[in-house]
Amino acid sequence: MEKMTLSSKTREAQSPTEQWMRYLGFPGGILLFLLILYLPAGAGLSAGAQAGAASFALALVWWVTEPFPTYVTSLVLMFLLLVTRTSNAKAIMDVLGMEVIWLNLLAFILASMLVKTRLAKRMALWLVVRFGHKASWALLAFLVLQLVLAPLIPATAARCVMTLPLMIVVATIYGSTEATPNNFGKNMMLLNLACISVLSSITMTGSSANLIAVGLIQNMGGQRVYYMDWMRVGAPVAILTMVLMWILGQKLLFRMKPEEQVPQVEGGLELVKKQYELMGPLGFQEKKAIAIFGLVLFLWMTDIFHMRWFGVEISAPFAALLGAVIVLFPRWGILSWAEADIPWHLLIFSAGAYAGGLALDDTGAAEWGVRMLFGGMNLKGVPFGFTYTVVISVMMYSHLLTTSKTVRTLIMLPIIITLAKALGWSPMSLALPAALCIDWVVGLPISGKPNVIMFSTNQYSVGDNFKYGILTCTIGVVILVISGATWFHWLGITPSFWAVAP
Amino acid sequence: MKTLRLTAFILLASVLAMAVDLPTYTVRLQAAPDGSGQGIATIALAGCTPGTFNLPLGFTAVQDLRVEEPASGIRLESSERNGMTQLKVTLPPDIPAKATLKVSFRLKQVFQIVKLKPGEKSTLPATSRTFKHAFVNTQEYLIGAYRVEFLFPDGLMAQAIREQLPKPAKNEVGPRVLLSKVDGHQAAILQFNKLQQGDDTSMIVELVPTRRSFGWLIAGLLLGGLYLFKFKDLVATKQP
Repeated sequence: MEKMTLSSKTREAQSPTEQWMRYLGFPGGILLFLLILYLPAGAGLSAGAQAGAASFALALVWWVTEPFPTYVTSLVLMFLLLVTRTSNAKAIMDVLGMEVIWLNLLAFILASMLVKTRLAKRMALWLVVRFGHKASWALLAFLVLQLVLAPLIPATAARCVMTLPLMIVVATIYGSTEATPNNFGKNMMLLNLACISVLSSITMTGSSANLIAVGLIQNMGGQRVYYMDWMRVGAPVAILTMVLMWILGQKLLFRMKPEEQVPQVEGGLELVKKQYELMGPLGFQEKKAIAIFGLVLFLWMTDIFHMRWFGVEISAPFAALLGAVIVLFPRWGILSWAEADIPWHLLIFSAGAYAGGLALDDTGAAEWGVRMLFGGMNLKGVPFGFTYTVVISVMMYSHLLTTSKTVRTLIMLPIIITLAKALGWSPMSLALPAALCIDWVVGLPISGKPNVIMFSTNQYSVGDNFKYGILTCTIGVVILVISGATWFHWLGITPSFWAVAP
Repeated sequence: MKTLRLTAFILLASVLAMAVDLPTYTVRLQAAPDGSGQGIATIALAGCTPGTFNLPLGFTAVQDLRVEEPASGIRLESSERNGMTQLKVTLPPDIPAKATLKVSFRLKQVFQIVKLKPGEKSTLPATSRTFKHAFVNTQEYLIGAYRVEFLFPDGLMAQAIREQLPKPAKNEVGPRVLLSKVDGHQAAILQFNKLQQGDDTSMIVELVPTRRSFGWLIAGLLLGGLYLFKFKDLVATKQP
């Protein structure tokens, strides 16, 4: 409970199926790579894009089946991108200097501070004492916590890193560790992962990609989306989905055994209470940690005022950088560099995943895939409800193909707005509901920044992530379709589902 | 002196009075395996009045320039400006308001030839070919839609679009250069709308042989086979 180390060891295969997946995953990845590479090229696809898609497919198979640790697969992917001439050396290497990598690194320094000062332990014990009589209430407490944080801190990676120490300590109390993960741990990690991403769609300021979508709807569609327009459609869908996933996670996907539903520390909840009481009042170091974290949090929450206040915007990584400087400051700080637990293997994994994702975007492979998907369907003269369902489904599941919400938005939204205009529908009727899917990047450990961070806890497999993510997205699609036919229609956003454009 | 002034005035007046719109300007360039190219430029003219204007073609060292569709007595002369071929178009007095100008030409070498200095490192594989096209609207009339279709020769495909300028504006859907199929050939299509005087657009496309090396296949199968043999223990039944 005193440590929060994110191991670089590969998770042990837990069943014969997983052992076979590991054994066959390596040649399977190579076969898929060769198959895509030697396929006759489509007219709209360059050789670089084809090689990029082949390399990414190989990495995806290896990430899922794990014949190697995920970071080794990332290194292989980076090498393949170079030798297949998909990307150049500079583009690949530059990924390690991306904002997201810096944010991860700095946020882990801050997380180490929370662990060293035992503030994370104190908060986790409080959570368990307050809500931990039943495991499901502890999970619900995290849902509420993420719901409160989502509108306050737009950076999903920041939200993830600030709550991760709590998740790990609470999971440990319920007997789920890296070495012996159980279904409580799976529910805890995956519910938080889904909440961090999905709840960003509550407000249009929930992520920068949401704001890009609003801009595209205004510039290309000629329709303005106001803050409340977004919130009154986005909030019910996101919150309802997460409440359903809180229930379905425990009841359907990862059923918890009776012993997993209570704290597994010797002495049970009573001991947890005793431990909490033994911690005594807040120490000086803990208060210092609260002050530093409060400062970073304040800067994350007030980024829209920075230009007015300071004449410069202190972006999320730089706010974390300031926090890290204070934390590491000699004498006055809290940590020495050696005490900062920075998971470099995770940063390498992220870098590889981003290099692959960016290559798919830069070479046009991702855009080609989306165009092929929409171009292959004739949506002229069909009822609005059908077109709406197709658009929402494609938008929702397309996150499995890219690693960047921004790029996905820039590719998909213009196509959807153009499609709406061509079919004779209001651009808002398709583009706004589609924009609500932007943040739902929950299907794979490489689909988003929080996914990469959470996966390193080794508490769940890629398959678990995929199952949970796909169910979340499917529930989202169903709720969005029902909302499109009712709630959105009553608000005047969508026409009748049976309407056919003239 | 008076005569000279009068002549200058008449010339100036005719130029000032001359007007034309260029709603579309399309160039189709088919490259041959030997590196030569055959191009056809189709320019739609609207709101025409008699006079002369200079139209940039956007290519250098153009050969066999010919008017394919001698629309309504339009006269054409070619000249060079800054190394680029320019068409001097004269619209006759009886020019109808709308006309189409179709010009064919030949290029001896479509691809860029880079001569390396001794000791200089090559930035491209030996099998790669680079096509570069840049167009500047040097004349004063607005070009509604400018489009270049570069059809690749048989046996070559695009490795990557290395440059596509200018970056698409927010209200433009799709990329500046699109890969597609035209008349059974893979083609790179450059599109730019509303080119004012001084606006420019360009693309650089790298082409590689369609057939990929079998090296990947051999290395991949070898590695896969070796892994299956050496890592058998992963699925071996454990003895009690």
